[in-house]
Amino acid sequence: MKSQSYDSMKSSFDLNRRDFLRIGGAFGIGLLLGNTSAWAQENQKVAPPAKIKTNIDDALKTFTTGRSLPGPFPGRVVEVCDQKAMANDRPVPEVVRTMFEKGVRQLTGKNLKKSFGMFFEKGDVVGIKVNPVGAGLINTRLEVVDATIEWLTKNGIKPDNIVIWDRYDFMLKEAGFTSERYPGVGIVGLQTMGETEEESGQSEGGSKAEGEGQGRTQGESTSEGKNEGASSWLDKNGNHVSAGNFDMDVYYWADVEGPKDKAYLNQHVFNGKYSYFGKLLTQRLTKIVNIPVFKNSGNGISMATKNLGYGSICNTNRLHNPLFFDVCTEVLAFPVIRTKLVLNITDGLRAQYDGGPMPVAEFAYPMSTLFFATDPFALDMTCHRLMVEKRKSMQVKVNEHPIFTDYFRYAERLGLGIADPEKIEHVRI
Amino acid sequence: MRRPPLLNSVAVLFVFLLSSADVVSGAKAGPAFPRDNYVAGWVRSERTLRFERSNLFDYIDGGAELFLEFGFDVLLVQRYKESNAKGDDEIALEIYQMESAEAALGIYLTKCGKETPVGGIKERNSGDRYQFSIVKGDCFIQVNNFGGDGKLMPVMLKLTQRTLASIPKGPPVTLLSRLPEKDFISGSGLIFRGPYALQSIFTFGSGDVLQLRGNVFGVTGDYAGPEGGVYTRLLILYPEPKAALSAFENLSNNLDPYLEVVSRLENGFTFRDYRDKFGTVELKNDVMEIKINLPEKPETTER
Repeated sequence: MKSQSYDSMKSSFDLNRRDFLRIGGAFGIGLLLGNTSAWAQENQKVAPPAKIKTNIDDALKTFTTGRSLPGPFPGRVVEVCDQKAMANDRPVPEVVRTMFEKGVRQLTGKNLKKSFGMFFEKGDVVGIKVNPVGAGLINTRLEVVDATIEWLTKNGIKPDNIVIWDRYDFMLKEAGFTSERYPGVGIVGLQTMGETEEESGQSEGGSKAEGEGQGRTQGESTSEGKNEGASSWLDKNGNHVSAGNFDMDVYYWADVEGPKDKAYLNQHVFNGKYSYFGKLLTQRLTKIVNIPVFKNSGNGISMATKNLGYGSICNTNRLHNPLFFDVCTEVLAFPVIRTKLVLNITDGLRAQYDGGPMPVAEFAYPMSTLFFATDPFALDMTCHRLMVEKRKSMQVKVNEHPIFTDYFRYAERLGLGIADPEKIEHVRI
Repeated sequence: MRRPPLLNSVAVLFVFLLSSADVVSGAKAGPAFPRDNYVAGWVRSERTLRFERSNLFDYIDGGAELFLEFGFDVLLVQRYKESNAKGDDEIALEIYQMESAEAALGIYLTKCGKETPVGGIKERNSGDRYQFSIVKGDCFIQVNNFGGDGKLMPVMLKLTQRTLASIPKGPPVTLLSRLPEKDFISGSGLIFRGPYALQSIFTFGSGDVLQLRGNVFGVTGDYAGPEGGVYTRLLILYPEPKAALSAFENLSNNLDPYLEVVSRLENGFTFRDYRDKFGTVELKNDVMEIKINLPEKPETTER
């Protein structure tokens, strides 16, 4: 794979931006419009946001075990495609199982049994991180999880030492990850979320009826804690009922506050500057298998590193704007992820090339592909490039600015994975 | 998209009368949801959900910023199921009420991609058996059938038609007509109102470098260039020349480091981007006109 280097550009021009401004770039316009430059100088300027401080140094101080990102196969990405994997937009279990076996074999160079031994021991507690967003349309397919669980149990992991997990409990249920579907296997949402407002309103013809909604009425939202039932997500001490699911001793800190409003707390458990890791990860799981979905997030992607970067901690919404995708790198640098994440399988059976991360059917399509890697950054860089190709082929506007892939290069500088396409071994089978 | 869990606690239902107090407070009559049996056997399966700016993230797990940026007001969600059916087919109706018809069209254009209109819907729409997207007045509507069963298309259509009947048409949106017609590539027009929507088009700098501030609309479209090439034009429509000048100066001071100014124009500048393509920024009274993806450095009058 070839890539263009995006190191800082060296000016090859006689006139750079600073010179342009110094000699009065705006002055000329001031003449054009009348003498308004003075007004403009008084007007508050929007300065670019400063680099936000985080506790990434704490993560990097920690001794790294032999099993640590990027794993035994840095830079290796295996892509397995089988057009028979989907029939009527539904996965075909036996084809998915075969693809799974091919992918693992190609990644490790060993059969499933020997591959198991490279990643796991029989006493491990394995967490399978899925992405349940967009249930029915673009969530992690149950058939991929089935193949993973089959591999684990056949090689000695007990079902009760397997946990399918995500940030939100209700999303898991919506996507079909239930104890009925997976008897004996743990299903864990790091947190719950209180019920949102319900109201009565207007139905056709203007009559009132319970459960019929109308816009712009002024109801109170239970997420704002204003009525009985609203406090369903609050315990008697006024804390979120899921607060105990997060480990106050293991956290990602960033110098940006979460909003104080109740709606934010309902969704994020804590505000402030700390994003705590789930106790499931810090205290129970010994290994993690990451199964994200092949989908975009604006001009970036929401795949392997985002599935864990934003899925393992609470109080995340405050991080989107100031830290952008860097969270996906920095959270994975913490030992709780770095030393436990052993395998990533990006589910591209049914993918989405635009409108993500939320489900938009217009852009969902059968890709019939699974990707395998121990190195989530090489995997994401590869998938990012494939996503760009797909978006271009569908005449979607693509902004290829390096800012959307900088976090991969950041990860490479931290030793967490390979980002340089020249060094990535992308194998297609 | 979230479906809140059913909780054991007894929830309180609020009944709101559409009174003159609502009018005084600025509330407008909104859309009405179709009743049970709008198609024989199809009934509401859950209570209506309502989301406002403060808790839109509860429903949209990622991507809510775009709605907020365009001017989001209220989201109402109603799910329908077939009574006595053994399957778990479900249709979800989502009505996003935006601040204005411009905002609704902006979101629609961002979400719909290449439009594939569904027969039987008069309003501007795009859809398939999984999802309909429609814009009418200040509402952006989605009808979701994520199970994807094509047999439900007539049910989705009826639900859509009934819902649209309760939504006022609203004023025509003329924003896109600001784009020059010559060489314009049909279907490429988009609206933006802040950095999130702008992200998909181009990166001019960090943050709100164009000072859109969530209340300045811009429009963009693709144009046929020489020798089969395509370039993109953006027009940012500031409320007054001073605001446009302030934004221009802010852009000049904080231009993205991957963009290199190569020449100064009488009322702007030309830049080269990291792909060796060129662009121009020109101030024209209260409008900032930007062209990007130009294959060659444009021949302009330099200062």
